[in-house]
Amino acid sequence: MTKDNSLNFYSIFKWVIIISFVVYAVFPFLWLVLASLKTNAELLDNPFKLPKVFQFQNYSNAIQEAGLIQLIINSLVISTCATFLNILFASMCAFAIARHIFWWKNVLFLMITAGILVPLNALIIPYYAIINFLNLYDTRLGLILVYCAVGLPVSTFILTEFFKGIPKEIEEASYLDGCNFVARYFRIMLPLALPGLATAGTFQFILCWNEFIYAMLLTSSTEIRTIQFGISYFTNEFFSDYVGMFAAVVVSILPSITVFILFQERVITGLTAGSVKG
Amino acid sequence: MKIKKDEVGWLLLFIAPTLILFTLFFILPILFLLASSFTNWDGIDAEFVGFENYIKLFNKKSFVRAITNNLYWCITAALITVPLGLIIALLLSHRSRGWKVFRTVLFVPQVVSSAAIAMLWAAVFNAEYGLLNYILDNIGLSDYKNHNWLGNVRTANAALIGFSLCYVGYFMVIMLAKTASISEDYYDAAKIDGASQIQKDFYITAPLIKSTFFLCIILAVIFNLRQFEYVYLMTAGGPANKTQVLVVYIWNELTVQRLGRGSAAGVIMIALGAMLLLLLRRILKSETYN
Repeated sequence: MTKDNSLNFYSIFKWVIIISFVVYAVFPFLWLVLASLKTNAELLDNPFKLPKVFQFQNYSNAIQEAGLIQLIINSLVISTCATFLNILFASMCAFAIARHIFWWKNVLFLMITAGILVPLNALIIPYYAIINFLNLYDTRLGLILVYCAVGLPVSTFILTEFFKGIPKEIEEASYLDGCNFVARYFRIMLPLALPGLATAGTFQFILCWNEFIYAMLLTSSTEIRTIQFGISYFTNEFFSDYVGMFAAVVVSILPSITVFILFQERVITGLTAGSVKG
Repeated sequence: MKIKKDEVGWLLLFIAPTLILFTLFFILPILFLLASSFTNWDGIDAEFVGFENYIKLFNKKSFVRAITNNLYWCITAALITVPLGLIIALLLSHRSRGWKVFRTVLFVPQVVSSAAIAMLWAAVFNAEYGLLNYILDNIGLSDYKNHNWLGNVRTANAALIGFSLCYVGYFMVIMLAKTASISEDYYDAAKIDGASQIQKDFYITAPLIKSTFFLCIILAVIFNLRQFEYVYLMTAGGPANKTQVLVVYIWNELTVQRLGRGSAAGVIMIALGAMLLLLLRRILKSETYN
């Protein structure tokens, strides 16, 4: 498309719209960071003025008093394990579906991907019962299993579509050379599908890191609590320490923003390949 | 690839983990939900009570309010958020300088957790130190000096809907990506015909990404049906159940151990989702072929 540099009404409209939405999306975050560096008195006096001295101790206070380090470690462990298992299982299933012919594969694929459309939050009561039945209430394993399972439809969908796009020739050659099922998966498919795995993995990680309702539903002790559920405690525990709450929120969003900035192309292609968010 | 006889075992083994977890966390819970919705299960005992839970729910004002609010969220998303996303996608599809930066920035709220976003916006709306009141006060609307946006019956829902517009970037990114697949030939032809930018956007780009636009509407409806964190953390369904939504309602039933009743609410929610999807498919399908 050629560039139209003339300053007409439409291009003014365009920049007004774009800039105002950018402000809408980003301004609250900037304010959050600013507010997290003030004292409570300064915040109540004027929410918008720059603080006299940047109160970096808000962060150290939040980290110490709320045990943010423990919360972050819990979230990291749970999200990483759940993402690993999810991608492993989904890629195995996607490999079976995308590369082999068996009569019930379309039924299987349709059934699993239909899971994307189920409003899962309606199922909190059965999840609570099932996790209790499996004796996994208030354990990391319980959350890992739930997170892994909840993301399976999206991951299986993204990976199956990705696997279908990889040329069959290499695999067929190895098949003729006597490469067996498992070797074809590990030696041929996985290395070729790395970008697809990264896409599905990034999605799954962000989903796990950000998850709130199951964390609240299925854990109770502080040693296991994840960061998202942990920060919501700030509204009660530190009811007057607003700046501490802001500092904790900033800490909690940094990892997902970092992962997004690092893998943004992956996130965006994943979104358009799958057009779904778990 | 055809399966060799001796590889069938491996094939099943590769499908098994996904299938087992899917059964355990998708199929079984739905059946379980349906079964317990006809009982008065309280975590210990359960007796069959027929349709009592359903009848009681539909006679509860707060439950009907939850359904209406969920529909209200879905409709606003479909009629305001997604169309706004389309407009921004059209504008960014010109690929003028810096479009990638704007795309990234607008997408950021989507990767931040709902819990953090809810707490952030609750602070923006806060009566004592909130950003919104401060801005309104400074532009001369001092009536709102100590207005509690989320605590006031009149403004709570409007405030929630207003903040949800920050998710416009998600739909924008999906539609914007679709514009990349449009052939340059269309625009070249339009240029020869002397079409202006606005004509190109609305007569070429917009119709060609129609299917993606519909997909976004479907996604928006699903997301807004299952949303929980914003209402739970910002208003907890209050004031006076004014902002109640289905998942928060189910959560409240769960915390008082009225699990049978909560299950019935869950069944209604899934049924509502299915109905909305079918309805949308019908409407949007007839649109696509016309």
